[in-house]
Amino acid sequence: MLDTVQEDTMHVLVIEDDIEMASFIEKVLVEAGHRVDMATDGDKGLAMARASEFDALVVDRMLPEKDGLTLVKEYREAGGKTPTLFLSALGDVQNRVQGLKVGADDYLAKPFAPAELAARVEALGRRLPVEQQITVLKAGDLEMNLLTRKVTRAGQKIDLQPREFRLLEYLMRHAGQVVTRTMLLEKVWDYNFDPQTNVIDVHISRLRAKIDKEFEEPLLHTVRGAGYRLQG
Amino acid sequence: MRLALPTFLKTTTFKLALIYSAMFAAFSAALLVYLYYSTVYYIRAESERRLDLEFEQLGNAYFTGGMERLSQSVLERMTRTGSTYFYYLEDSSGRKIAGHFGRMPTTPPTADVQTVYFEFRQQEPDGTEILRPAAGRIVRLRDNGGALLVAFDTEQQTAIVGRIQRAIFIAAPIGLVLSLLGGILISRGAARRADELARTAEAVMGGELGRRAPVRGSGDEFDRLASRLNAMLDQIEKLVDSTRHTGNAIAHDLRSPLSRLRNRLEIALSEPMSRESAEATLEETVEEVDRVLGTFNAILRLARLEAGAEGERVRMDVSELGEELAELFDPACEEAGLSFKSQISRNLTILADRDLVGQALSNLLDNAVKYTPEGGAITFSITRGPNGTVDMTVVDSGPGVPEEARERVVQRFQRMDSARTHPGSGLGLALVDSVADMHGGELLLSDAGGPPDMPGLKATLRLPRV
Repeated sequence: MLDTVQEDTMHVLVIEDDIEMASFIEKVLVEAGHRVDMATDGDKGLAMARASEFDALVVDRMLPEKDGLTLVKEYREAGGKTPTLFLSALGDVQNRVQGLKVGADDYLAKPFAPAELAARVEALGRRLPVEQQITVLKAGDLEMNLLTRKVTRAGQKIDLQPREFRLLEYLMRHAGQVVTRTMLLEKVWDYNFDPQTNVIDVHISRLRAKIDKEFEEPLLHTVRGAGYRLQG
Repeated sequence: MRLALPTFLKTTTFKLALIYSAMFAAFSAALLVYLYYSTVYYIRAESERRLDLEFEQLGNAYFTGGMERLSQSVLERMTRTGSTYFYYLEDSSGRKIAGHFGRMPTTPPTADVQTVYFEFRQQEPDGTEILRPAAGRIVRLRDNGGALLVAFDTEQQTAIVGRIQRAIFIAAPIGLVLSLLGGILISRGAARRADELARTAEAVMGGELGRRAPVRGSGDEFDRLASRLNAMLDQIEKLVDSTRHTGNAIAHDLRSPLSRLRNRLEIALSEPMSRESAEATLEETVEEVDRVLGTFNAILRLARLEAGAEGERVRMDVSELGEELAELFDPACEEAGLSFKSQISRNLTILADRDLVGQALSNLLDNAVKYTPEGGAITFSITRGPNGTVDMTVVDSGPGVPEEARERVVQRFQRMDSARTHPGSGLGLALVDSVADMHGGELLLSDAGGPPDMPGLKATLRLPRV
């Protein structure tokens, strides 16, 4: 059902005390093709995160023994580099900012759709190291030069509005992954609120008209019930 | 009130009253002591001065006319009416020449000039004799050996001093008692007003939410406290009412989707279904649950907003946000067959939470897109408003909101009946209103000036500019 790419498996540590929620997260991630380890309190979670190499951490904000914020803070202070996603029932902007401040890479408010969780964990795994400077992004025969801001498909030039450029850039950086509408709002528009009207869909369909219309093979796919995926 | 005494004895005001009366007493005592001594000193000095004057005049008589002139002068003075002085003049052998007394009323002095105190007998009109105190000075006459006494009755002086003393002894305790009484009265007044406030608080705690503390209009601290307390109670009452209303509304609004859910699941359970239709049912169910969760999130957000827990205000360029939102909504309008125009003035800044204002404006735009029929028009403008404000206005060509319903539609879960067919939680305008409130602004709704059957809605979020 979840149309995610399963080519490379991630090893994910989930630190969550609510058994039902934990097994739900585990199920979603296993279905997405990942290996999952579980910890049910903050102390154990921190010990496990330090003991072995994970590809991603999924941490609940409210945990027994050691709350999520402290856990991530201590983990980062001790030099832990693994990308981290916060899960929390506290979805306000302040809480979000707090979470990102202590060193988390992303923040997802409960309740969330399984596709959203899968997409965000996937995005963490593919996060490109900051040091690595990339000037040209590629997806199939689509090319984007970040310096000249030129976009071509099969050598044919495509004109994009600034926002469309940013939208496509985000999609290309996460090519092959499912990207949800909320992720686009947060990362491309920097909005932490819900504009309600299907604004994102419309922007995507405009972008699609520019990059896919005149070509045989479509690159930008809608993933039902989840979001969008740019074919890698 | 039987317990009033121990209560007011404990009050700060009473303690202050006590301190004040102690200070008052100390000050009064110092004042009275000063008054007493300065009066006595003044009386003494005055008598001395007048004695000096007498001796000077009599001395002049002696120097110009000798003993004869002096005795004449003494006799003159003795007969002068209203004189308060006693005289006695003797010669060198101690013989009386003139004077009030039969002989020198006190032992003759050893020095040339000597101050003397003595008592003398005086015949009263009724024949009795009394002893009277006197004070004066004896001066030995030069070249002659005689002596002159000038004295005055000290009874009067003693009487004045005595009267002052009496006045002090009477006034001091009376003043002390009065100041204490005053303190007690003041503190009882304060205690009573504090009691009134306490009783109001108790009544409110007891469930009488409409109860307010009495304000006397005197403008004193207690009045100010009472009116602040009342303002707080107004706010609490409003919040409680709104919570109550929300509770009812949640129950009402969530009952229908939840019952639909239940029915759907019930049917799914009872009927044998193909895999596809089972999946479809489940997907619909998930969508329904998502809507319910969405409503819950909106309620939580609104509640937190109203409790003042959310929002971090920063100076932000609202024109920039407006441009972005216009760009965001423009394609969606086009898709819905609506023409979209935006008119954003540059460089308008407000002190606000960007996400909240963004959400509020999105809600207005979303409403416009939802309710305007195909072929209609939406205008989004951000302009300078009156009195240092920014007007963020969304105008649509939809059915509008009749005047009598405008106050209602900004309340939670209040949707016009015509709106119930559209998706939405009924919290959109309530959130805009809360955001306006929180930023010290307002939400204004009016007709957009279209034809009577489609007047359109003009919704303006007006916030203070910085």
